[in-house]
Amino acid sequence: MKVIDRNINVWNKFKSSNRNKFSLYIFSFIFLFSLFAEVISNDKPIVMNIDNQLYYPILFKYSDKTFGGYFETEANYKDNFMTSKISKDKNWAVFPFNPHSYNSINLNNSTPNPARPSIHNYLGTDDRGRDVLARLIYGFRLSVLFAFSLTAIGIIIGIFFGAIQGYFAGKVDLYIQRFIEIWSSMPELYLLIIFSSLFEPSILLLIILLSLFGWMSLSDYVRAEFLKGRNMEYVIAARTMGLSNYQIITRHILPNSMVSVITFLPFRISGAILILTSLDFLGLGVPPDTPSLGELLAQGKENIEAWWLSLSTFIVLVGTLLLLIFIGEGIRESLDTRSS
Amino acid sequence: MKILEVNNLSLQYTHLNNTKSILKNINFYLNQGETLGIVGESGSGKTLTGLSIASLLDESIFHINNGEILFNNNNLLLQSNESLRKIRGNKISMIFQEPMLSLNPVQTINTQLTEVIKLHITKDEDNIKKIASEMISKTGLEETNKILSSYPHMLSGGQRQRVMIAIALVCSPEILVADEPTTALDVTLQLQILDLLKKFKEKISMSLILISHDLDLIKNYSDRVIIMKDGNILEDGETKKIFKNPINKYTKELIKSNPHNMINFKPSNKILLKTTNLNCSFITNNAFLKKNRKYFQALTDINIELNVGETIGIVGESGSGKTTLAMSILQLLNYEGTIQFDGHNLSKMDNNELRKYRNNFQIVFQDPFSSLSPRLTIFEILSEGLMVYKKLSYKQMISICSKLLNEVGLNESMLNRYPHQFSGGQRQRIAIARAISLKPKLIIMDEPTSALDVIVQKSILELIISLQKKYSLSYIFISHDLKVIKSISHRIYILKDSKIIESNDTHNILDNPKTDYTKSLIKSSFLN
Repeated sequence: MKVIDRNINVWNKFKSSNRNKFSLYIFSFIFLFSLFAEVISNDKPIVMNIDNQLYYPILFKYSDKTFGGYFETEANYKDNFMTSKISKDKNWAVFPFNPHSYNSINLNNSTPNPARPSIHNYLGTDDRGRDVLARLIYGFRLSVLFAFSLTAIGIIIGIFFGAIQGYFAGKVDLYIQRFIEIWSSMPELYLLIIFSSLFEPSILLLIILLSLFGWMSLSDYVRAEFLKGRNMEYVIAARTMGLSNYQIITRHILPNSMVSVITFLPFRISGAILILTSLDFLGLGVPPDTPSLGELLAQGKENIEAWWLSLSTFIVLVGTLLLLIFIGEGIRESLDTRSS
Repeated sequence: MKILEVNNLSLQYTHLNNTKSILKNINFYLNQGETLGIVGESGSGKTLTGLSIASLLDESIFHINNGEILFNNNNLLLQSNESLRKIRGNKISMIFQEPMLSLNPVQTINTQLTEVIKLHITKDEDNIKKIASEMISKTGLEETNKILSSYPHMLSGGQRQRVMIAIALVCSPEILVADEPTTALDVTLQLQILDLLKKFKEKISMSLILISHDLDLIKNYSDRVIIMKDGNILEDGETKKIFKNPINKYTKELIKSNPHNMINFKPSNKILLKTTNLNCSFITNNAFLKKNRKYFQALTDINIELNVGETIGIVGESGSGKTTLAMSILQLLNYEGTIQFDGHNLSKMDNNELRKYRNNFQIVFQDPFSSLSPRLTIFEILSEGLMVYKKLSYKQMISICSKLLNEVGLNESMLNRYPHQFSGGQRQRIAIARAISLKPKLIIMDEPTSALDVIVQKSILELIISLQKKYSLSYIFISHDLKVIKSISHRIYILKDSKIIESNDTHNILDNPKTDYTKSLIKSSFLN
C-alpha cells in the first residue's frame, strides 16, 4: 500500500499538454542560458594562449602588465595591443559566441552608432556603440531575476497578511484592512522618484520599494479565500480534532486558497518585468550602466530609424511574457484536482 | 382520458466529448385530473423527465434521440418554438425545488406575476391587477398588496413557494409539473404546500406530476407512481398496489429503506454530557454604544443531558438553533452557561487544555461535499487527527487508516484517492471514519443523512448504530427529519425558536405529543 505522491500527479498533468511542456522547456532553456551570460557574451576570451601560457580572462583578472603592457588596470582584450598580441605567432584565443559584454563599446565600428546589424554586432549597436545582443542577454537575465525575487517577496508578505486577516477576522482584520487603505493611498511613483534622487539607484532599492507596495493586491485575494475557508465544514472538523491554528492554516485553508495565488503568479512575474522595464524606460529604474530592456526601448524611441533596437527588445519582451503566462496557466490547470 | 403520453423517450447528454444516456426508452402516461408521482434517487433522471415534458431542456447539451411526448395528441417534440411558448406556462406549468432561485431577485412579485398574465391571459391593466391579487389570496397568503409589492428576499420560504405556485397556476394549466416542491421547506410547511396543490388541482381540474425522493409524500399524495432508476422506469402502477406489493427488487429495497426502529439496546446510567442554562446570542446590528446593539437570541436556557451509549435526537426547523447548539457543545462558539462533559467543566478550560481534550467529542456534517478538504487525499484526511495526539510512524498511520476505512465499510485501496472521486454516501462514511479516528466519547451528527438518497441513508444509519454498539458511543443526532430521529434515538428534544419546547423518550413523545408544534411535526412527517 503506497500513497502516491501528489506532486507527481501534478507534474504528469502539466506535461500532458504540449503548450505547457514547450513553454516551460523554452523558458528554462533561455533562462539557464542567460545565467551563463558571461560565457556566452563577453568581450574577454574564455581561454587564450599567449607565449605558451594559458590564461582564463573570464575567471581571473589579468592586468595589462601581465602581457607586457604599461597599465596596472585590467587588460582590454579588444584594443590594438592585445589583438596584435593574440594574432602573433602561435598565440590563440577563444572568444565567446558573442564577443561583446553589455557595457563594452565597440570603438572599431566603421559605421556611426547606432550601427545596423552586421557581422561584428549580430543585432547592431545602440547609440553608445554597445552591442544590442549582449545587452538583451544580460537585460533578460536581470529582468527575470528581478521579477522572481519581487514576486517571491510579494507573495510571502501578501499571503502572510492575507492569511492573518482572513483567518482571525474580526478586529485583526479591521485594523490591518484600515492600515492597507492608508498604506495603499501613498503615491508609489512619487516615492520612487524621491528615493531615486535621495539614494544611489540600485536593483536592491527598487526591490525594497516595490515590495513595500506590491503585496497588497495579493493579500486581498488571500484574505477573501481565508474568510471563505475558515467557515468550511472541513475546517470546523479539523478544529474539533484539536489541530492548531497553524496546522489548520497550512493544511486546510492555504492549499485551498492557493488557486488565486497561483493564478496570479505568472501575471505577477510578467507584471514585475513590465514594471522594471517601464521604470527603466522613464529613467527611474536601475543605474544607467546596467543592462536593461527598458533602457533599450527608450533608445529605440529616441532613435526611431534604428529599428533593430526596438524590434529585438520587443520580441524578447513579448516572448518572455507569453511563455510565462503559458506556464502559469498550465500550472493552474494541473493543480486543479477536480478536473480530470 | 390520457392527457399526456410519453412513448419511447430517450435522452442523451453531450458535453465536450462525453456522451451519457440519461433516459432510456421510457414510456408512461398521465390521465386527466390525476396525480402521478415520480420517485427515484438523485441521478435517476426524474427531473429531466419533468423538464422534457415542459420542453425546458437545454438543447445545446441534451438531445432527444427518439420517442414522442404527446400532449392532447400533439407531439410536443415536433412543435415550433413559437407554438411551444403558447403551451409552456399556459397549458403546462412547472414549479421547482428552490423558490429563491426560481424567482427573480430584482423584480417585485407583482412584476413577475403580471408578466405571465399579460403574456397568456389579458392585456387589460385593471383586469391584470384583479387577477393577480385574486391569485395571491387563493394561495392562502394574506395582505395581498403587501406581498405583491415585495421582492422575493422579503418573503419567507413558504411564502415564496406559494408565490411560485400562484405564478405557475395563474393560467389554469392542464398539467403542472412539481419538481420536489417542498424539499427546501421546513417539514411543517410541507403539508400546507401539498394540500394547497391538491386543492388547486381539484378546483381547476388539472393533472399533477409530482417528482420527489420522499416516498411518504408520494404515497400520500399521488394516485399512480413511477419508480425510476438510472434512466429506466422500473415499475409503474397504482400507488397503493405498488407500496403493498412491490414487484421489482429495487422498489422493494426502496420501500424497505424507510427508517425503522433500529435501536435495541439500553444506554448506561452514567451521565456523559450535561448543559446548564446554555444561552447564546449573535450581534445582528453592531453599534458603537452597547445599548444600541441588537442581538439575535440563538439559544435560550438549553438544558440537555446525555448518557454514555445514548443517542438523543434534536429536532427543529431551520433557524431553530440546532447547529448553534452543536457548535456550543464543541466549544467553537462563545456561549453563556456551563457544559459538563465526563466530569470536566468544558466552559472553564483554557484554549490549550481544550485543544488536548478535543479528541473526546467529534462532529459529522450534513454535506459530505464540503466536509472533506478537496485537496487532501483520504489518507491525509484520516491521519490528520492522529498526528495531533500521538507520534506515529508512517507505517503505523497507514495501518490505522486502513482499519478505519474497513470499519466504515470501505476498502483500504481508496486511501490515496481524493474526495471528489467518491459518491455522497462514501464521503459520509469517510467523514464518520474521521470522527471515530480519535476514539471520541461523543459524536455530534449534524443532519448526516439529509443530503443522501434513502437507500444510502439507511445504510449510513445502520453503520452509525453498529459503531455505537461497538464503542458505546454517545450521539447527539440533529435533524429536521423526525422519521430518521425516531429510528435512531433514545430520547428526543424538540427545539423551536431557540428554546427546547418538549423533551421525552422517543416513543412517549411520538405517542403523546404535548405541544401543538410537536403534533404538527409528527403529522407532517406522516408518522401517525
